[in-house]
Amino acid sequence: MALKKENNVLLHLENVWKIYRMGEVEVPALQGVSVEIKKGDFVAIIGASGSGKSTMMNLIGCLDIPSRGSVYLKSQDISKLGESDLASLRGKTIGFIFQQYNLIPSMSAFENVVLPLEFLEYDDREAAKRAREILISVGLGDKMHHRPAQLSGGQQQRVSIARSLAGDPEIILADEPTGALDSVAGIEVLSMLHRLWKEQGKTIIMVTHNLNLAKYAHTTIELKDGQITKISENDE
Amino acid sequence: MKLEKCFMYAFNMALHSKLRSWLTILGIVIGVAAVIAIVSIGEGMQQSMTAQLSGLGGDIVTISPGFSRGAGMFVMRGGGGEGGFSGGAQATDKEIVLSRSDLQALKGIPDIALIDTNIRGSVEVSYRGKSGKVSLTGVDQKVWSQITTSEIKNGRMLDSADQNVIVIGGRLASSYFDQPIGINKMITIEGSAFRVVGILDDQSTNIYMPIQMAYQVIEDKKNGIYDSFVVKIKNEDQLDEVIAKIENKLMTARHVTQKDRDFSVSSSRQFQQTRAEALSSLNAFLVAIAAVSLIVGAVGIANTMFTSVLEKTKEIGIMKAIGARNHDILLIFMFNAGFIGLVGGIIGIILGTILSGFMPALMGNLPIMRGTAIVSLNSIIMALSVSVTVGVLAGVIPAYQASKLKPVDALRYE
Repeated sequence: MALKKENNVLLHLENVWKIYRMGEVEVPALQGVSVEIKKGDFVAIIGASGSGKSTMMNLIGCLDIPSRGSVYLKSQDISKLGESDLASLRGKTIGFIFQQYNLIPSMSAFENVVLPLEFLEYDDREAAKRAREILISVGLGDKMHHRPAQLSGGQQQRVSIARSLAGDPEIILADEPTGALDSVAGIEVLSMLHRLWKEQGKTIIMVTHNLNLAKYAHTTIELKDGQITKISENDE
Repeated sequence: MKLEKCFMYAFNMALHSKLRSWLTILGIVIGVAAVIAIVSIGEGMQQSMTAQLSGLGGDIVTISPGFSRGAGMFVMRGGGGEGGFSGGAQATDKEIVLSRSDLQALKGIPDIALIDTNIRGSVEVSYRGKSGKVSLTGVDQKVWSQITTSEIKNGRMLDSADQNVIVIGGRLASSYFDQPIGINKMITIEGSAFRVVGILDDQSTNIYMPIQMAYQVIEDKKNGIYDSFVVKIKNEDQLDEVIAKIENKLMTARHVTQKDRDFSVSSSRQFQQTRAEALSSLNAFLVAIAAVSLIVGAVGIANTMFTSVLEKTKEIGIMKAIGARNHDILLIFMFNAGFIGLVGGIIGIILGTILSGFMPALMGNLPIMRGTAIVSLNSIIMALSVSVTVGVLAGVIPAYQASKLKPVDALRYE
């Protein structure tokens, strides 16, 4: 119990199980996973498809709750929070970057970045100012009013990074952030994440099946068949 | 999320699925327009009814022999100048009539200003070789012109000195015979010639003549026996009291009690009220039919919202991932539904108002529709609030469903 109270532990999974029911059959996606993620770390969760990494990402991102065990985000047990509290906690603490960008197609880049601030009930002017600054910082100052469909994959992913940063969250949770990108754009996105970690002290959690990406991370968690097989640190 | 942001988002959502939104709006437009148009006719009827009530005969009371609950309307039609229904009240086997003693009794009531005595019958009429059977009313020519609700179109009413002259209904004059009958033409009634001195401004085929002449023309009518009395009372406000007085006086004169009463007293106001009640229930029935189309429109909204929720599932997932709470999503979808209802309501009101302009022309031939259609502020407010409420209600379940979507499932949805 003392562990999760430790100040530098941001996220703590304690003997977490996630079991999906497929008709009559129960399929365990995670089997007793325990791990701590410290504030300011760059963590890569790697594993083949079916290893349970998407499930783990959903739990870390408070998008889902465990079947058994506990997930503590900033010392709060997410299973004990109501839907709305969970949504607010997500909005404030975690910025999501998805493989398919998941931008809202009917909204411009600017509106997509402002949206999370609207859920956080930011003042309009402040939200607009912040969205503009962030879009400029990811190099999209001239494309703010383009719709996602008018942007390249790399640009869309940068909008999605900008959106994840809008609410100034402590954690950036990236699910296969380069999965849909060519290698140049992929490297660009990764170096952007790296800078966020180094320069702004964000905690980055990246889920990927690509072992090559793991070298950008400080901590690597390897998953196989719903269990953690190895946790390694890269101290260079 | 702030309310106005939810609304803006809902508004954008409606704009981005234009065709579907418009089709849904159309459903509401039709419903609201139908309700507005029909309510406007109702209001128009009601108003012309009120005008008729105050305009004619609020101080006229008709007394006829026989008593039955439903008799009032028919007796009134006879007495009011249109004729043709006089037999309705006689229900018992021995003949019940109004006599001179009844007339004397009425004359003893100080609240009565004028008494017109009537007899009625069907007579053979011929004009320029053509003949037919029409109804004839014998009236007390000294007072008839002051009591009747009919108005003269050509010529004059009957006068106290008149003998062999008649006043005829508008249709009898214009189109009953091959050739129209003009003022001062002679027509033959049961073998005697009469001169037409007046033509009424109505669509009847009635003939009015002095009662003394009518006794000679109509078969089986004995002098001193009347089919009805039409009285005008002095003070319209005392109508009910005077009716009660007349009833009491006649019951005494005729040696009957409330139980075996053998005469009816009715006022044109009562008749108009009965007609107004019948109208308003007809009106309610029509509105109910129109409301069905509004309900169909609401089902359309619900359908559209369900489709939207399905289509937007992924977006809902994204919004939830980036911090949308359940009630944000709920509000967005409710606003969307309400917005469709509101726009549908506004367009429906405009369309309904335009439609109601054509209604009097469409219903011009119906005697109940003499007024114009009236779109009142009340019906506008009612239609708007109903359409928005209907929209929101239809949106409740889909919106609730959307708000309850799990972020993981919604994100995975393709």
